[in-house]
Amino acid sequence: MVNESLAQTSNTLFNVAFVGYIVAMVAYFFRLAFTQVTAGEGGASSAAGGRGSAKGEGGASSAAGGRGSDERAVAGTAVGRRVGHVGTVLASAAWLVHLGSVVARGMAAGRVPWANMYEYSSILALGAVIVGLLVVQRRFGYGHLVGFVLAAAVLSMTSGLLLFTEAGPVVPALNSYWIKIHVAAMMSASSIFIVGFVATALYLVKDTAERRTADRSGAAFAGSTVGAAHVQAPADARPEGYEADAGAPGESGGAGVAGTLVQREALSPVLFPLIPATVVAAFALVVWRAPGTAILAGSVAALLGTASWYAVPYLPPAARLDNLAYRTIAFAFPVLTFGVMAGAIWAEESWGRYWGWDPKETGSFFTWVLYAAYLHARSTHGWRGRRAGWIGGTAFVALMITYYAVNLWIVGLHSYAGV
Amino acid sequence: MATSTDETLRTDAGARRAAGPRLPDIPGPLETLGSAWRRLRKMSTALLLLFALAAASVVATVIPQAPVTPQSVAQWRAGTAGPGTTVASGLDALSLFDVFGSWWFAVLVGLLFTSLTGCLLPRYAAFARVARRPPAAGRNLERLSHAQTVITELAPEAALAAAERLLARRRFRRRRIGWQLAAERGHWREGGSLLFHTAFYLLLLGAVVGKAFGFTGQVTIPEGSSFAETRIAYDAAEPGRWWDLSDHRGFVVTLDDFDVSYFPNFTPRDFVSTVTIAEQGESVRTETVRVNHPLHHRGMNLYQSGFGMAPHIIVRAGDQVLLDERFMLSPASGQNVWTGTAKVKFDDPSQQIALDLALAPDAELREGQPVLGPDPAPRNPVLVGSLYFGELGLERPVPPSQFRRSGPPVDTAMLRPGKTAQLAQGSLSVEFVDLGYWSGLQVSHQPGRRILLAGALLLLVGLVPSLYSYRRRIWVEVAPHRTGSRVTLAGVALQRKTAFAEEFATLAQVLRRQLDAHPAASQEHPH
Ligand code: HEM
Repeated sequence: MVNESLAQTSNTLFNVAFVGYIVAMVAYFFRLAFTQVTAGEGGASSAAGGRGSAKGEGGASSAAGGRGSDERAVAGTAVGRRVGHVGTVLASAAWLVHLGSVVARGMAAGRVPWANMYEYSSILALGAVIVGLLVVQRRFGYGHLVGFVLAAAVLSMTSGLLLFTEAGPVVPALNSYWIKIHVAAMMSASSIFIVGFVATALYLVKDTAERRTADRSGAAFAGSTVGAAHVQAPADARPEGYEADAGAPGESGGAGVAGTLVQREALSPVLFPLIPATVVAAFALVVWRAPGTAILAGSVAALLGTASWYAVPYLPPAARLDNLAYRTIAFAFPVLTFGVMAGAIWAEESWGRYWGWDPKETGSFFTWVLYAAYLHARSTHGWRGRRAGWIGGTAFVALMITYYAVNLWIVGLHSYAGV
Repeated sequence: MATSTDETLRTDAGARRAAGPRLPDIPGPLETLGSAWRRLRKMSTALLLLFALAAASVVATVIPQAPVTPQSVAQWRAGTAGPGTTVASGLDALSLFDVFGSWWFAVLVGLLFTSLTGCLLPRYAAFARVARRPPAAGRNLERLSHAQTVITELAPEAALAAAERLLARRRFRRRRIGWQLAAERGHWREGGSLLFHTAFYLLLLGAVVGKAFGFTGQVTIPEGSSFAETRIAYDAAEPGRWWDLSDHRGFVVTLDDFDVSYFPNFTPRDFVSTVTIAEQGESVRTETVRVNHPLHHRGMNLYQSGFGMAPHIIVRAGDQVLLDERFMLSPASGQNVWTGTAKVKFDDPSQQIALDLALAPDAELREGQPVLGPDPAPRNPVLVGSLYFGELGLERPVPPSQFRRSGPPVDTAMLRPGKTAQLAQGSLSVEFVDLGYWSGLQVSHQPGRRILLAGALLLLVGLVPSLYSYRRRIWVEVAPHRTGSRVTLAGVALQRKTAFAEEFATLAQVLRRQLDAHPAASQEHPH
C-alpha cells in the first residue's frame, strides 16, 4: 500500500529543504548584519530590497529621497545585497524541494499528505515560507524579515522531525473528504498566523525601541510611528511599502542612522536572547521532555532573540510592522473561522455531534476568541497598539498549544491524530 | 462608531480630573441601570467578556470535564487523581467540572449577547441612515488630504461623464450635485460586520434549539440482535429538556452484520455496520453505517461509534440452559484481549455463578497456556472462561465485573470456536459457538443543525467584507477652463489610509489618461 521508495524520497527531500532553509536563513541574517556595517559608515539607508524602491517610483516621494542617497546605499551594501539575493534564491529553491517532499509523501501514502503531526509541521513550514517570500518580501518589500520567517519554519520542521512517523494510512475517523477541507483550512490559517506572529513580535520589539529612544530624546518624537492608529498624514501620503527596508531608519523622527542605532542601545542585549530561549526551551522540555532538544531549540531561539535585538534599527517602523501583522492576521482569521466550522461539520459526520468541548475544540475556540479579541482591540480606543500586539502574540501561543500540547498530552477524541 | 466618541469622552474626563477632585454623584437606580447599559455597550467591555470566555475555556482544558472525560472527573472526585478531594469539592461547588454547562458560563454568554445587542442596535440604526444617504457634496476639495487638479480639452459635461464612468466601473455609488460628482464606496464593511455579528444570534439560537429539543443516545447491539428506538433501549442518553418520550420514533434497528478490516500495521481500516430498519414490523431499508457515513432515518441519525468482540456462548448445567447469548466484550487496555463478565446464575445469593471471559483474537496454545499475537483480526481466537461460584454479590447494583472474588476461580476453560468444555467436574458445560461482533451506535436528533449552518454561512459572508472592504469617498469637480475644463479629483479614506494613497494615485492616473484619450481626436484636428 505504501510506496516505500517514494516515502524515502520524501524524507530525503525534507532533509534537503531543511538544510536549505537553514542556510537561506543565515544568508538573510547576514544581509541584516551587513546593513549595519554600511549604514554605520556611509549613512545610507540599508540594503534596500529592489522591490521597495521600485514600488515608490510612481509617487513624488521617491524622488524626494534623491538619487544620491540611493547610490550610496547600493555602493555600501553590495555584499549584503548579493548574499541577500543568494538567500532568496536558496529559500525559493528549498521551498520547491520541500513542496516535492510533501507531494511525494502524499503519493507514497496514497492520501492527502496531512494526516499526522509530522506532516502538519512540514506543511506549516511550507506555508509560512511561501507567505514570507511572496507576501512579506515581494508584496510588502520587507525582505529583512524573511530570515525570521525562515527561522520559524525551521523550528516547525524541527518539531516535525521530533514527531516523525512513517508514511502510512489513516484510521477510519480521518478517512473523510472533510479532512481535506478542515485540515487544509487550519493549516493555511496557521501558516499565515506564523508570519503574523513574526510581524507582531518584531512590532513589539521595534515599538519598545522607538518608545525608549523617544523618551531619551525628549518630546521631539511626537511624530512617532507607534501604533498604526497614530500614523500621521505625512506617512499616509507615501505609497505603502515605499520605505520598505530602505526607509526604516530615515523615518524614525528624522533622526537618521545615528538616531536609529540608538534604538539598539535602548534594548537589553541580555534579555533579548534570554527570554525566547527560556520560553522555547521550557516548551520543548514540557512537551517532549527532551533536554537535548530543549537546549538546541533554546539556542536557536537565543540566536533569534539576538538577531532581532541587532536588527532593531533596520526593521520597518513599528506602525508598518503593526500593519503587516494586522493584514496577515485579518487574512488568516476568516480562514481559521471557516476551518473551525468545517471541523464542526466533520465532527458531526463522524461522531454525531458538531461541538462537544473536546480539548481540541476548546483549544481552537480559545484561539479563535483571542484572535477575534485582537481584531477588536485593534479598533478599540485604549487597546490598539501594544496591547493589541500582546493579544495577538498570546493568540499565537494559544494556537501552538492547541496544536501541539492538546495532541500530545490531553486525552480526547482528537488524540488519535496523535503523532 | 462608538470608538471615536469614547475618545472624546475620555479626554473630557481627563480634563475634569486635572481641574481638581470632585465628589462623586450618587446615582439613582435608573441611572445605575443606564450607566451599566452604556458600559456594557462599549467595545472594551465586549473585549473583556471575550477574555473571560477565553479564560473559561482555558480552565476547561486544564480541569477534566464531566461531559468529555467522566472517568477522570470521577477519579478527581474520589481523590485517586488530581489535587485531592477538598479541592475537587471546591471545583464542584464552582461547577468547574462542567464549565460549559455551568450557570456562570451561561451568565457570561448572556452578558456577551447583551453587550452585542447594545452594540449592534445603534449600529443598525446608523447603518440604515448611512446606507440610504446619498454621497455628500464635498467642499474645498483642493484642501483634502488627497487632491489633484488637471486640465483637459474635454468639455465639462463630457469630463464629468468620463469620471462617472470610471467610478461606476469601480463600483462607487455616485451622485451629481451641479458640477460636482460625489462618490462613495465600502458600505459593505459596516454591513458585513453587522451581518457577521448578527450571525451570532443564529448560532446561539441553533445551539439552544439543539440542546432543548435534541436527543443523543448510545446503544450497543450484538450481531443478529435488534433494538427499538425507544428510551429504554439506550445504554446512555442525553435528552434535551423538551425532548419528550413520545418523540422517540419507535422503529426497530437490526444489526445484520458487522465488519472490520485492518491495515497491515493492525490499525483499523474501516468498520461497517449493516443494519435493517423496520417500521411496524416491516423492513423498510437495509443500509450500512460507517465512520463518517451516518445513516439518517426519520430525523434520527445513526453514527458508527464503537465495536467489539461478541462470542456466542451457551452455559448448561446438565440439560438446563443457564445462559445462551452473544456476549459483548470490551477491549482490555494495552493488550490484544477482550474481556467481560457473564452473570450466569444469580437468583439464589448463596449459589451464584459467574464467568470471567477473556478473548484473544490471535493466540497460540502452548502447553495449555495461550501465547498472544498482535493481530487484532480474529483469525486464531481463544476464549478463556474462569468460573466463580458461591456468594458473589451479583445481585448488588454494581457492574458485573465487580463481583466478590474470594480467591482463584473454581475452574478455567480454554476454548476454540465450536468447542465445548466441561467445568467443575462436569457439573457445568460451556460452549463457544462462534465469534461475532457487537457494534456501538450513537443515535441523535439535532434540530438546530440547519439554523447553525445558516448562522455559520452568514458569519463567513459577513466576515469577509467586514475585514477586506474599505470605505472611501471621492469627489470630482469640473469647471470650464479655456476651451476645455479644469477637473479636480479629491478623496478621503475612512480606513486603511496608507493603502489609499496608492489607490488614489492609480485612480488619478487612470482618470488623467481617460480625459486625455477622448478629446485627443478634437485636439488633433487642425483648427
Ligand atoms: C460575540 C463575540 C464577538 C465576536 C466574536 C466579534 C468579532 C468581531 C470581528 C472579527 C470583527 C472584525 C474586526 C475588524 O473589522 O477589524 C468585529 C468588529 C467589530 N465588533 Fe465585534 N465581535 C463580538 C462581539 C462584539 C460586541 C459585543 C461588540 C459591541 C460592543 C462588538 C463590536 C464590534 C465593532 C464596533 C466592530 C467593528 C470594528 C471595525 O470595523 O474595525 N463586537 N467583531
